[in-house]
Amino acid sequence: MNILGIETSCDETSVAILSDGELKANLISSQDFHVKYGGVVPELSSRAHLQLIIPLLKEALEKSHLTIEQLDLISATAGPGLIGALLVGLTFAKGLSFSLNKPFVPVDHIEGHIFSGFLMQWKPQFPYLCLVVSGGHTLLLLVKSDLEIIKLGTTIDDAAGEAFDKVGKLIGLGYPGGPKIQEEAAKCSSRDLINFPVAKTQNEYDFSFSGLKTAVLRFVQKEYSGKENIKEADIPKIAASFQNAVIKLLAKNVEKALQNFKVDSLVLAGGVAANKDLRNELSFISDKYKMKFVVPDLEFCGDNAAMIAYRGWKLHLAGKKFNYDYNAYPSLAGNKLIR
Amino acid sequence: MDLPLQVIVNNEIETKRIAEKFALLLKEGDKVLLNGDLGTGKTFFVKNVCVKYGIDTVTSPTFSIVNEYTGQKKIYHFDFYRIKKTVELFDIGFEDYMKDREAIIFIEWAELVPEVLPKKCYTIQFNYINETKREIFIKKNE
Repeated sequence: MNILGIETSCDETSVAILSDGELKANLISSQDFHVKYGGVVPELSSRAHLQLIIPLLKEALEKSHLTIEQLDLISATAGPGLIGALLVGLTFAKGLSFSLNKPFVPVDHIEGHIFSGFLMQWKPQFPYLCLVVSGGHTLLLLVKSDLEIIKLGTTIDDAAGEAFDKVGKLIGLGYPGGPKIQEEAAKCSSRDLINFPVAKTQNEYDFSFSGLKTAVLRFVQKEYSGKENIKEADIPKIAASFQNAVIKLLAKNVEKALQNFKVDSLVLAGGVAANKDLRNELSFISDKYKMKFVVPDLEFCGDNAAMIAYRGWKLHLAGKKFNYDYNAYPSLAGNKLIR
Repeated sequence: MDLPLQVIVNNEIETKRIAEKFALLLKEGDKVLLNGDLGTGKTFFVKNVCVKYGIDTVTSPTFSIVNEYTGQKKIYHFDFYRIKKTVELFDIGFEDYMKDREAIIFIEWAELVPEVLPKKCYTIQFNYINETKREIFIKKNE
């Protein structure tokens, strides 16, 4: 069975083709694609999705040595995300499904991340604990089966990736500063020279990063009276201490959940899963609890259509049927499965 | 609550109280622009207004640009922090959101894209005083 996946929930346009369990193509819009097909359009743009989606589909088919008629299932992200952006991919998928007379499967973006570990050779086993960390989301979930997901905790203010991006800007690394924080932090041999406090939350599995971001801001104001005056030699120290605080908080909730729920694997997913220190910390915890630890390859961590195709395939195999009146939804509240 | 209002709040609990009172003023179609540096409490304020409408899922919209919530009222919660060009806002349908008379609209970092802002709106300025203290200035613009 050849499954088409389409992802347009936010900034990236992505098209993937999965043939049963085997990934044939996973194209994610990059600056190259924008130059080749889009020309000058804003990065954040429904129009950019519109310009890229057909060329990306053609390229994915070519790469997979398939014709469009050989597609058996059409899946696309329905939410959460920007409505205008989601509508491009979802409406395109409906139209294609109708014209090819092949089933259409709307997929939840977060569910895509939750099951992205199955795109790897080293796969998770049910039940597993899943930490989804990205620019827009921070969720801790208990995944019992393909159709049974329980939300244990979420951020009550900023997402972890957002904290990275904003702190990057605060210490003069530009926006988004996430990847640069990791780079700078790596230059520092000690990880906790500065104590940045993290806020407690009512629900023990929830996360809060807003106060931590503010603590870094105050530190910069107090010590240097502005980011322009931060000594270059101090940047690694601040980056490492901040990153350490984020990782400690994520790890603390993961560890608590591992103590309270019987699971077989731990999965780390979402764009922030690219962070090496976070991977190392969770890998260490997995070993401690004798858990299988799964973290997807980088191309499956950020927003990608491969995870959408995989999830669409599983929903189809589970006998789920969807009509064309299925609408895009902006927030996780629109998800019908995760409770 | 009488406007304009200029107060010093000593802690989050006092901010929460002001947000709850402000929530009673708002009606469908209202726009609220929030300005102030990082970490001065813009998202916290919106969160506590929304609690009054039975919504407890408010988080920062910085990454998503706009969050939508539905409780006793329909809310669009914008954040212009990572908007680079005005055209990006139009492209994601900003005008359509603004035309929805059934929704209350909050815009954090509104001052970053001044050319798209409505004249008739509430503006809230947040100023940092110390670790816990903030100055909050709420004004109605006709």
